[in-house]
Amino acid sequence: MTDKPIVVIGGGPAGISAAQTACDLGAEVVLIEQRGFLGGTPIAENYASLTPHMRSAEEVVGAMVERLTASTSLEVLLDAEVTGLSGEAGAFALDVAAGGAVRTVDCASIVVASGFRHFDPGRETQMYGYYEYPDVIALQDLEAMLKAGDVRRPSNGETPKRLCFIQCVGSRDRHIGNEYCSKVCCGVASKEAIEVREAIPDCEVFIFYIDMRMYGYWESQIYWPAQERHHVQYVKGIVSEVLAKGDKLLVRGEDTTMGRPMETLMDMVVLSVGMEPSAGTRKLAGILGVEQNKYGFIQAANPPLDTVSTSKPGIFAAGAALGPADLEDCASSGAAAAARALSAARMVIGA
Amino acid sequence: MPVGGRKQPPVATELENATVTSSLSGREWELPGMWNRMFESRVLSGYTTSELARISSLPGGESIEWCYGCGKCVPVCPVDLVGEYGPRKLHRKAQTGVNLLGDADLWMCTTCGNCLRVCPKEVDMIQIMPAAREAAVTDGIMPPELQDVFEKTFRQSNCLGENPRRRHAWTKGAGVPVRILASDPRPVDVLFYVEDYWSYHPRGQQAAQAFARIADAVGVDWAILGAEEKTLGDSQRTAGEKGLFEALMEDVVATLGKYTFNRIVTPDPHGFNALRKVYPTYGHNFDVLHYTQLLAPLIDRAEWAGSVEAKVTFHDPCYLGRHNGEYDAPRRLLASIPGVELVEMSRCRENGYCCGGGGGGMWLDGFNSDRVTERLSERRVKEAAETGADILAVCCPYEVSRFEDAAKSTGNEHLKVLDIVELIDAAMFPR
Repeated sequence: MTDKPIVVIGGGPAGISAAQTACDLGAEVVLIEQRGFLGGTPIAENYASLTPHMRSAEEVVGAMVERLTASTSLEVLLDAEVTGLSGEAGAFALDVAAGGAVRTVDCASIVVASGFRHFDPGRETQMYGYYEYPDVIALQDLEAMLKAGDVRRPSNGETPKRLCFIQCVGSRDRHIGNEYCSKVCCGVASKEAIEVREAIPDCEVFIFYIDMRMYGYWESQIYWPAQERHHVQYVKGIVSEVLAKGDKLLVRGEDTTMGRPMETLMDMVVLSVGMEPSAGTRKLAGILGVEQNKYGFIQAANPPLDTVSTSKPGIFAAGAALGPADLEDCASSGAAAAARALSAARMVIGA
Repeated sequence: MPVGGRKQPPVATELENATVTSSLSGREWELPGMWNRMFESRVLSGYTTSELARISSLPGGESIEWCYGCGKCVPVCPVDLVGEYGPRKLHRKAQTGVNLLGDADLWMCTTCGNCLRVCPKEVDMIQIMPAAREAAVTDGIMPPELQDVFEKTFRQSNCLGENPRRRHAWTKGAGVPVRILASDPRPVDVLFYVEDYWSYHPRGQQAAQAFARIADAVGVDWAILGAEEKTLGDSQRTAGEKGLFEALMEDVVATLGKYTFNRIVTPDPHGFNALRKVYPTYGHNFDVLHYTQLLAPLIDRAEWAGSVEAKVTFHDPCYLGRHNGEYDAPRRLLASIPGVELVEMSRCRENGYCCGGGGGGMWLDGFNSDRVTERLSERRVKEAAETGADILAVCCPYEVSRFEDAAKSTGNEHLKVLDIVELIDAAMFPR
């Protein structure tokens, strides 16, 4: 067994999964998290429940954290930030700033699980008015409301009677530079739509979309129940602007099925924002010297069958640091990256 | 951090006016006439869940809101090819706030079932249409010509409004004795349920007479109800008159209860459908066959005194084929006729194109004529003619008159429309 630990950077679902796997395989693990708590974006952004199983984010992620932190071979550094790297595979030295001091962590290999951030709707080129209209919110804003059990119009505190989601905000767009599909927003919007319908049965809920991308089981787990059991209305046609009209919002776009312009009033508009590399992912890529793709995500070096290697030997990536990913992807790639990190360390030691 | 600054409040109304002003006289006209996009608001704005909720709350209407807009129904819907109606559009119209119960689209579906065959979400127009139409009929909303048929059926127990006592007038020309149970109530193997068009329509009567001669020749023990017969009313049901259908069923079941028979055979795929699929849901179970299913296994007994030297194409009735899965019996009969060369149309069997007669369409040609570029029967006849066939063979009583009219109106008079029994009859008993 290597005497040097494995470092996992990022304490979200992918990082937790990676750290857990490395611990389970008998490695010493140092988990570095820039926030003051573990759990990552689902906790930091107040997710109510997780797609598609709709279990409480706090419970699911909390259970992951609880199990991990019971490991005896784990050291967790919170409020900690990586500032430099030297050495090479098998003998890395990582500078970590924490608690006002910088310490060096020696390690055999590194898993980067620094995640994503929600696209900032202020950068959207369509006129959705996220920062103009209080009642235009984003997926994570609605998550927070759902978590609090209190979905109301921010403008006047009233319960919404008509609410719509606009898909592909910040995704699939050359203007913005995010030419990729963010993969999860169709499912997350549909999940939130179900939750709104359950919380406010007389609220009409619409989803305006270009394509519904409900891959795999999400189709029958989320999409079909939303439509068939919860009466969420899917309208094929994207909205290109949201305008104020009285105390309501006029959403305007094309109804592509009918081949006609559409405009209809809503009480609330939820922007289905996509995923972008987090600031941490961008910064770490530079510090660690791993290649990024044109969107800033860390580039998997040997696709398609090797999903977690980076351009730098001994450094692996997992979760949404690699690109848009759902929680199951994050858990899977976290475990894969940990196993690869450990086997790399052993190969170096053995060499 | 505001992005892009505050925008002007929008002007949302983009109505186009249906008034035209003359550039010469300055006079204004309110333009009447057909529905036209030019005279409506281009902008759809009434998005709502309430219209779909109304239909989906009806028993049988649930699946209307399952549509996810894939569009697979569009190319297979017979009506969508000749008009604006389409299953997917129906869902979307409701979603945009159109009251379907007051919309002409409600009556344009022939319940042919081809959309359901291809629908990945199993949006079931075969259930939705009768349910929604029933709701409309209950509110008194229906095309007048349909109302007329409902009234005739109510008064005379047949859709043609003919005298019930003349139900078996056709038997006189059969040339063989036809047993009527009221006067000879002994047990019988086959109770032949003639239904309306074979009882009353001149071309149907000819087919009924042909059937009588064939049944007699191949040794079928059969009888009819005669004046006691009432229509099974399946098309009235799919057109929205469930109450009438149920009342008829009560009478039919009572009449059938008086006699002993093994099975019911009918030439009408719609009646066949009612007995096979709908009656059992009310607890009435009968062995039922379409006449082609009765004759196909017996046709080897036929003695052919002649032949039909012709290229024949065959039109699958929706309610025999797609609805009840029988594609082979009619073809076996055609193949047995000496001289017949069967050529298939490209749309046949599961993908057969509807004649336009189902779901009340039989009685809505006037209503539909303003809304389609051509009748379904006309489109179908053109397909039949394209095969180079001399004869378009059918086995649904609705079709002979529909296709004969269509052959004339499309300039395909050379195409003869004959029921399969007429072809068999011609080959067995040449004149």
